[in-house]
Amino acid sequence: MNPLFESNLIQTRRQFFGHSGLRLGGLGLAYAMGADAFAASKSRVHEALPGLPHFAAKARAVIYLHMNGGPSQLDTWDYKPGLQKWYDKDLPPSVQGGQRLTGMTSKQARFPVAPSLFKFAQYGQCGRWVSELMPFTAKHVDDIALVKTVHTNAINHDPACTFVMTGREVPGYASLGSWLAYGLGSESNDLPAFVVLTPTWSAKAMAQALFTRMWSSGFLPSKFSGVALRAVGDPVLYIQNPDGVSPANRRAMLDTLAQMNAHRFEKFGDPEIQTRISQYEMAFRMQTSVPELVDLKQESQSTLDMYGPEVLKPGTFAASAILARRLVERGVRVVQVLHRGWDQHGNLPRDIRLQCRDTDQPIGALLADLKQRGLLESTLVIWGGEFGRTVYSQGGLSQTNYGRDHHPRNFCMWMAGGGIKGGVSYGESDDFSYNVATDPVHLNDINATILHQCGIDHERLSYNFQGLDARLTGVEKQSPIREILS
Amino acid sequence: MNRVVIPISMLVVTSAFAADKLSFNRDIRPIFSENCFACHGFDAKKREAELRLDTPEGAYTAKDGVFPIKSHDLSKSEVWQRIITEDADDLMPPPKSHKKLTQAQKDTIRLWIEQGASYQKHWAFERPVDSPGATIDGLLSERLAKDRLSFAKEADRETLIRRVSFTLTGLPPTLAEVDAYLKDGNYEAMVDRYMNSPRYGEEMARHWLDVARYADTHGLHLDNERNMWAYRDWVVKAFNANLPFDQFTVWQIAGDQLPNATRDQLIATGFSRCNVTTSEGGAIDEEYRHLYAVDRAATLTTVWLGLTGGCAQCHDHKFDPLTTAEFYSLYAFFFSSADPPMDQNSNATVPYLRLPTPAQQKALDDSIAQEAAALKALDERAQKCALEEKHDSKAQTITQVIFDDVFAYGAETRNTTRNPSVWLHRPDFGARYGQRVLQLSNGQFSEENITPTLTPIVLGETPRFSIWVRLDPLNTPRAVSVELNNKRVVWGDGSAFNGSDYAQDGDVILGTLPRRGEWTQLSFDPTRVLGLKVGSRINVVSVQQFGGTAVFDRCEISGQASPAKHMLTSFAAWWKQTAAGKKHPPELPAALAKTLSAMPEKVTDVKQREALQRFYLACIAQPMNEEIAKHRLAWENARTAHAAADLAIPGTFIFRDADQPRDTFVALRGQYNKLGEKVEPATPAAFHPLKKSAPRATRLDLARWIVAPENPMTARVTVNRFWQQVFGIGLVKTSHDFGSQGEPPSHPELLDHLAVSFQKSGWNVKQLIKQLVMSKAFRQASAVESHLLSLDAENRLLARGPRIRLDAEQIRDNALFVSGLLNFDMGGRGVRPYQPPNIWEPVGYGDSNTRYYLQDHGSALYRRSLYCFLKRTAPPPFMSNFDAPNREQSCTRRERSNTPLQALQLMNDVQHFEAARALAERTIADGGEKDAEKLSWIFRVVLSRQPDSKELEFLSASLAKQRDLYLKNPQAAERAIHAGESQPRNLASAAETAAWTLIANLVLNLDETVTRN
Repeated sequence: MNPLFESNLIQTRRQFFGHSGLRLGGLGLAYAMGADAFAASKSRVHEALPGLPHFAAKARAVIYLHMNGGPSQLDTWDYKPGLQKWYDKDLPPSVQGGQRLTGMTSKQARFPVAPSLFKFAQYGQCGRWVSELMPFTAKHVDDIALVKTVHTNAINHDPACTFVMTGREVPGYASLGSWLAYGLGSESNDLPAFVVLTPTWSAKAMAQALFTRMWSSGFLPSKFSGVALRAVGDPVLYIQNPDGVSPANRRAMLDTLAQMNAHRFEKFGDPEIQTRISQYEMAFRMQTSVPELVDLKQESQSTLDMYGPEVLKPGTFAASAILARRLVERGVRVVQVLHRGWDQHGNLPRDIRLQCRDTDQPIGALLADLKQRGLLESTLVIWGGEFGRTVYSQGGLSQTNYGRDHHPRNFCMWMAGGGIKGGVSYGESDDFSYNVATDPVHLNDINATILHQCGIDHERLSYNFQGLDARLTGVEKQSPIREILS
Repeated sequence: MNRVVIPISMLVVTSAFAADKLSFNRDIRPIFSENCFACHGFDAKKREAELRLDTPEGAYTAKDGVFPIKSHDLSKSEVWQRIITEDADDLMPPPKSHKKLTQAQKDTIRLWIEQGASYQKHWAFERPVDSPGATIDGLLSERLAKDRLSFAKEADRETLIRRVSFTLTGLPPTLAEVDAYLKDGNYEAMVDRYMNSPRYGEEMARHWLDVARYADTHGLHLDNERNMWAYRDWVVKAFNANLPFDQFTVWQIAGDQLPNATRDQLIATGFSRCNVTTSEGGAIDEEYRHLYAVDRAATLTTVWLGLTGGCAQCHDHKFDPLTTAEFYSLYAFFFSSADPPMDQNSNATVPYLRLPTPAQQKALDDSIAQEAAALKALDERAQKCALEEKHDSKAQTITQVIFDDVFAYGAETRNTTRNPSVWLHRPDFGARYGQRVLQLSNGQFSEENITPTLTPIVLGETPRFSIWVRLDPLNTPRAVSVELNNKRVVWGDGSAFNGSDYAQDGDVILGTLPRRGEWTQLSFDPTRVLGLKVGSRINVVSVQQFGGTAVFDRCEISGQASPAKHMLTSFAAWWKQTAAGKKHPPELPAALAKTLSAMPEKVTDVKQREALQRFYLACIAQPMNEEIAKHRLAWENARTAHAAADLAIPGTFIFRDADQPRDTFVALRGQYNKLGEKVEPATPAAFHPLKKSAPRATRLDLARWIVAPENPMTARVTVNRFWQQVFGIGLVKTSHDFGSQGEPPSHPELLDHLAVSFQKSGWNVKQLIKQLVMSKAFRQASAVESHLLSLDAENRLLARGPRIRLDAEQIRDNALFVSGLLNFDMGGRGVRPYQPPNIWEPVGYGDSNTRYYLQDHGSALYRRSLYCFLKRTAPPPFMSNFDAPNREQSCTRRERSNTPLQALQLMNDVQHFEAARALAERTIADGGEKDAEKLSWIFRVVLSRQPDSKELEFLSASLAKQRDLYLKNPQAAERAIHAGESQPRNLASAAETAAWTLIANLVLNLDETVTRN
């Protein structure tokens, strides 16, 4: 072997397998280095940062179910039977407390209380009250920790969506999934560490937007951005060979490509060339692993049935839920499912029914499915939105119809699996679900909790950005919610 | 001597040990900044134990007889004792801070105290001083010599020309250029040639547009399109014209305040309008006015002053001398801006500068004059015309035009884009009538709502509605439809609306979709089809399409009516109907509007009645005679000409101050609604003083302060960014942060030398860039030896030439260039090349006008990447996959990642695969006779060099393999050569072309191809 090449090889090995920043490599190296290197490369394509996890992780993977638009806590999880007698009466000013409102209702003449139209019942050993909108999720309340007093900084969608995922209201910061991918890497060598799904939705109202910044890496290196797994077109961008190019054509092309790149490496010694060789090999493997991933044929009929009638329709929430499980099974670190259509300023009863019909059965199925496969204990499932909704009606209130404005002061989120204590509820809102009564939980506390379950001390996972040690959870004191940890 | 291999991150410190004396800025400040200043630094609020270590006064002053630091005396230096103590309670930095000094850092601090603990002001706040006789290569080799290194040999000519060409134009050289340079070897002439190419400005602009956060959409919430591209084109022009950088700066910050500001100076102020904006329902004005000013001030601070101003938004800067009050004093220069906090989702949010060419301006002025003259002539005819009310006449057919080349006079219109209606003037396929057609274009539903206020429509007997439509052959809608009073008639796929926000009950499916690409008249009887009653009024006409692009022409409604009752024939009937409407468009003169708003019987003044009647006869009524008909037509044509001239004029966002300055306050902890002390526009005290031209400092004062010779930062920060552009990494690696948290320069004297000579040259950018690419350092071969790689992996010392992956735009442009597909047109509205489905759609707001990506066709697909449309909330994959920022905020440095998603895109993206086919055909046509010749040719076109024998061998084997595969499967070959919209030239059999396409695809995917070697 050429001595220059040999010495570079040593250096390259160090770059790939050591802790010197280039956290790539893996299987593809076998190509350039022979089987020995392959055997030595038990380490992963996406390695964890040195020193991480900070402590033993309860959760190996995270599935984040984000209901975009702001689901109403009053109609789902925050049971307020006392409000029925307040129907169409004005929200007492003492409760409203002069807090800021959005420009959409701040000029409203009155603020009539709109009790939920939906019936609540108690479920599980814990006796959790859950709305009739979520009968399937309700079966799992003994695995769920409900947090009823989440609050956020922003009152409108764009900044609130940015905040829930990046801890900041303005663009430019790293998303939760990117932080996890950056810190912990991935256990899959054939799939990205962080995958995003954006299913279809059924509500009729104009749906609020998503923003790629909700899964982008911000100031972190761009390879930690979430990769959108798409329902229309190629599941991963450009995964399919062009029409008329067979796997044999592609393999022949890649073989020569690797030969020529390796030849070039011998002359130039730049380890980036080695990395590129391995990335092409990973791309080739993804061409097989991704179609296999999205092919639901191997699922048993009973599993498919569990997720409901829309599971085989690409792009639905049900299809996304089962894919989330399949991704986690294959070692993907973070799966984010962003379901649009929860911004119900008007016609809330009609639209929230449609939205829950999209999501409830698949969510129940996801929890059951993870559990039956023994994955739930190592998978943290999170459900929430960017904020909640007001107790008073926006626009007309009738016995059968109402709308609700944005409400950042208290709303509900839940977590399950991944070392979360089931059957508990944390925090109480006031009688109108308008203010936190006890145990406020900031969104950054939620994020601190998620990191904690993944074995990360949120104060110690930082990245130098603009001269500061930027963290997901910001500069204020935040802490994991110890009360909901098992 | 045994050499210890130390990575370059440690190199600065290591070499310092070799030198006699430590330097505070080079050796100590980075350690203190990282570990101590957060609690013992500049920020008074966070200071612990009243101790500050960033100034000598703070460090040397004893408290209660204890010296924090005592020169030459470790035992009396409390700081040192706290560093080495075993007692966790006393240890510094405290364990709870999660900071820890390494042994090497401790040794450095010990040595520094022993040597006398001398302080320096942070290097970047001292004015740069040139070293006598300094040159780039001289200073670099001096530094190399310290590590017993030297420059590598010069790279070969093929490598050099490709490196220079990419650096200066973003494109590879042509074969002819390579041959010429191989022959004459005149490097400088070659450099000059590329520098004088218009492509130079495009490449330079690309980097600046990252800094300026330029994009084609607003960025927040709806993320609608904005017209800003004139700013992008100005940046290209400024670099090509070599506008001195001080003027380049002043124009962008305060061009509007220059005396007799030129159009270009105004366009340049768009820099401060490039920030993201919102118009979200419910958003609070004060909050966004604050956020925009924060962004503008922070961007300015980073881009020109190299400081991370954003930190001081919430608290005094912990590391650099920038207090919160000082940050808000900079913010005050932008807080009084004239632009509204809500952008209205408009593509022309004020202040908006229209940019007519002289010809366009003349056409507009002429058309206005002609319209006025035509109206006057019409009015005069109307004055002479007697009103003939035909009380007893028989019913006759009366036709009312809703739009043709323009909307009916006085009609109010509104459409899905929330922007002005889109009219195409003299389209290539030809208007059906007159000159213009109305276009609707959207991947889903879009409509134009027309409310005919001045000419209300009442259905006559046997009415007929008709409209001409032409469906775009490439973006064919699934359905077109018309609504009268919200009742819909559909042609085409009636189920298109199902499940969307636009579904409604009772749609009437009247027919199939018209043939695409052909003008077709659609018509129906509203009484029979929609059940509307004769005599009922049509308040709104809505023209719609679903799922593509359609154009419409002459929309009208006719019916039988008695002239005595019809509004176009009876003044009384018209007045009564229109008065009831109560809404009158701005075109109507005020006096007439007043008369018209009252019911006829209430107006007794004869003059008023006559004036209204004359207006009616001139502009509304069915012409009473031939003369009026003739002049009415002339007037309609003049209105069209005016509208067309108006629409043809582009525009751009510019920055201006509001008429009255707003009081500006410190926002406590960065919260817009928690106001602290009041501030005035001012600059930070650590810098030279601001020269004010008025009691209240202006932005122009600020701009001049930034480029003043006394400013220690601007020239340094700027030359460093250009250095980064040319060499791949800055002399200061953290090119956005020259403060104490940033990295110190690898070559301080070189940075200062460049900064001083840049200022002396009159901020001559071309001269600077030329200096960099002419340097020996830049011309070195880039092969790397292993010991050098371990010593200096990032190539900070430049003992070899720069070798970096091409940027996103360069990668795409390169494929288009070598394949011969590239379209060199410059400027204009962003184009939409190929993009996979579902990039915009899953994220975009319901009726954002950038929710549905409608791809362009033809030559627009092959424009340079600089001109491609950039939607911020869902940027194009060819950009984001290769580390281009999404332009939501200023970015001074891109990463260069290396991922499998990039490999997939380069192999399979239709843009790249089509380019491979085109390159294959170029090879077949021009590459010579034999395979070996062709293989060498294609290799040279892409890489500018000959393949070696080994490479030729690999390629030949691959070609044989691909041929074999395609000969066995000619159908696959046929499909493979039809990627993209350009057609294959059929120079060889499909199998042969396909095999060569795979070879081209291979060559375009080589590491060397996507690398500036």
